[in-house]
Amino acid sequence: MKAFRTSSLVLLLALTVVACGKKETPAPAAPPATQATQPAAPAGVTVAAVNLGNALGADKRVTAPSTSFARNDTIYAVVETLGSGNTTLKARWTFHKGDNVATVNETSQTIAANGPAVNEFHVSMPGGWPAGDYQVEIFANDKSAGASKFTIQ
Amino acid sequence: MADNDMPDFSGVKSGASSTANKIYTVVSGDSLSKIAKREYGDAKLWPRIFEANKDLLKDPNKIFPGQKLKIPPK
Repeated sequence: MKAFRTSSLVLLLALTVVACGKKETPAPAAPPATQATQPAAPAGVTVAAVNLGNALGADKRVTAPSTSFARNDTIYAVVETLGSGNTTLKARWTFHKGDNVATVNETSQTIAANGPAVNEFHVSMPGGWPAGDYQVEIFANDKSAGASKFTIQ
Repeated sequence: MADNDMPDFSGVKSGASSTANKIYTVVSGDSLSKIAKREYGDAKLWPRIFEANKDLLKDPNKIFPGQKLKIPPK
């Protein structure tokens, strides 16, 4: 009888614990980290503008942007960049005749930018350029940042 | 693509510069004066490169292939 009473007491105690045990309530959902998404800061260096000309000023910008040049001109492609970091800029100059394309020149420079920078590439042709249609395409870390067409008269 | 009737551009001269520091990787046979001649057109301007890289270079006569030197704007 005493054993029965003891086991009943243990059972009752166990039932009481189960009954009183509160179900774990889920934590309220965390609020979004930010209500308004902030625009991401520009990563690394980005190309802001490309201008062509046949002369540079002291600030390395073209003195008179143009897309038409004379046979004896030196042609400058000025690439304005924003942002900071190490970036390899490349200028690929090509000549276009119908469906044919000839590579004129490829030049690269790696810069350690610490804010806006002006970067120039130039090409010249001793004896004069063949007349026709040309293009310069600018790459930043091997990704095209745009192309500019020009003609030699 | 046939390039037979395309002009010859092998004589094209090119160059590049920046208002930012450039990064130049030293190759075998380089010296600061050679780099200054190539970058500035004047070998005598080598101290400018040395000054910009004092954190890396202790002796202007000792540069090694693979070193990445800051080249200040001209």
